[in-house]
Amino acid sequence: MHLIQRFKLESILLPLSAILVCVLLWYLIAGKSVITEKIDDFGDKIKVTKRAGLSADLPTPVETWTASKLYIAEPFAKRGELDQGILRFTWMSLVLVVQGYFIALVIGTPIGFFLGLSKKFTIAFDPIIQVLRPVSPLAWLPLGMILFSGVKIANGDGRTVFGASDAAALFTIAICAMWPTVMNTAVGVRAVPQDYLNVAKVLKLSKSKTLWKVLVPATLPYMFTGFRLSLGIAWLVIVAVEMLTGRPGIGGFLWQQYNANSYAHIILCILTIGVVGYVLDRLMSVVESRFKTA
Amino acid sequence: MSLIEIKGAAKGFGLPGSRTEVLKNINLSINEGEFVVIVGYSGSGKSTLINLISGLVKPDAGVATIAGETITGPGPDRGLVFQNYSLLPWLTVEENIALAVDEVFKDWTAAQRKEHVQKYIDMVKLKPAAHKLPKELSGGMRQRVAVARTLSMNPKVLLLDEPLSALDALTRATIQDEISEIWRQNLTTVLWITNDPDEALLLAARVTPLLPTAPATLGEPIVVDLDRPRDRKSLNHDPKFKKLRAQLINTLLDAKGRMKPKTSVKLTLPDILPEDLTYVNSLQFLNRSGPRRRSDSKREEVEVAV
Repeated sequence: MHLIQRFKLESILLPLSAILVCVLLWYLIAGKSVITEKIDDFGDKIKVTKRAGLSADLPTPVETWTASKLYIAEPFAKRGELDQGILRFTWMSLVLVVQGYFIALVIGTPIGFFLGLSKKFTIAFDPIIQVLRPVSPLAWLPLGMILFSGVKIANGDGRTVFGASDAAALFTIAICAMWPTVMNTAVGVRAVPQDYLNVAKVLKLSKSKTLWKVLVPATLPYMFTGFRLSLGIAWLVIVAVEMLTGRPGIGGFLWQQYNANSYAHIILCILTIGVVGYVLDRLMSVVESRFKTA
Repeated sequence: MSLIEIKGAAKGFGLPGSRTEVLKNINLSINEGEFVVIVGYSGSGKSTLINLISGLVKPDAGVATIAGETITGPGPDRGLVFQNYSLLPWLTVEENIALAVDEVFKDWTAAQRKEHVQKYIDMVKLKPAAHKLPKELSGGMRQRVAVARTLSMNPKVLLLDEPLSALDALTRATIQDEISEIWRQNLTTVLWITNDPDEALLLAARVTPLLPTAPATLGEPIVVDLDRPRDRKSLNHDPKFKKLRAQLINTLLDAKGRMKPKTSVKLTLPDILPEDLTYVNSLQFLNRSGPRRRSDSKREEVEVAV
């Protein structure tokens, strides 16, 4: 009992103090607004606001909070196309991520299975995969723009609902997020114990039954590790994609606020992206641990 | 008539150059309804031998036949029980058995298949655990599921590859009795592989030792004409059992003894020579040019048999 209490206390106090240390460091680095009154040439009193500090443009934690309060307090508000609650932007990004992620899984899993099952396939495609794998999302996006330049789906009013930049965004997310799924599935298929395959052989299971009753269940834990890593990458990619395409979303908002010299909102965006990424990862690892049994 | 025949089979593994011959000149015939046990040392090629019959391994030379037909691959007519049970961990007991039944008896109705599955679950006394996953079962229970799964395919021959070696002695005794009982009732042909001579004599109608020559060969079969059911308590004092046991163990030990060490290792001695310490306090010792090295004079090696 004593041990549990101590453990709980530590697991709250230690992270809190680490956060505190970081916030203090932030204060040290951040500049702050110093308002001085002086008398100008005409003899009038004016207020002059100057920023001073190690990094003069970096807002302090308190300034960040004051500037962000509105976006957090009304997370789903829509005040204008470029001025919306933070969760509303997050939601837009998430919708796109889920679509791209889904495409990544649908394409990546079968490729992983082929890689795991066939040595020849591996020898043939491994160099291509190894070369494409480290390519940055920023490099894929222009290619996606070219590939899907003709895509245009309009709604009744003639407004484009799904254009070239949306297609390019999906393409980029899918192709970047695919690799962990591909690699982990391949490793998982290769790691299926020979015993299980022997069972399938001795029972003379058909090809499709061997796949669905033996290979897929035995590979599931590996596949879900891949799925989790892929989701992490998809979330990383979305920010870059939105910055480049200017789509509304959390990354788009970040870039637009940078251009608007509204630096406090950049920090808000970074923290939101981090928290959302963390939550996604936790959710996936809960699902993942459900399949760890096999 | 013999159901299973192996004639002049040989098997080795590895690429030319680093090849190990495992089995040589294997001749074995098993009659229908017979309970044959093969006893051998660990690692002497017992599993390879049983896999020749199961079809998971193809012989390099010779043939293995079942009911006169050459064995080319695995099939449900030869039920193999694996040493490590090999149950699929994501399926319950019932589903594991159903996987086999559904595959072998495709033309049956669903109700027939379900009934068949239940029959074998009952046979190994696992009704209360039918909906449990393998990880929730004890080792003995898992092996019973594996046996039930194999028997449910109605195989012509039941092949058991050291089925009880992962179990504790008491559980092993129980399952030995159970399988022995199932055999007495169904008279399936059984080929059982073990490394335990007592287990062999307790179960078998005929015991064949697998001699640990390299590569391994089969020894003279020993017919076990003890009455059934065999009671392990009274068997220990049965003179006939003792005689058979001595004969079997001697055959195995003699074969092992004849295996002269064939490999030797060349050892290099420490590269420093002893010094004469009686001169430690003399000027002669101080004037020497450091310790003498063996490699300075000549290389010396000793040969050690392993």
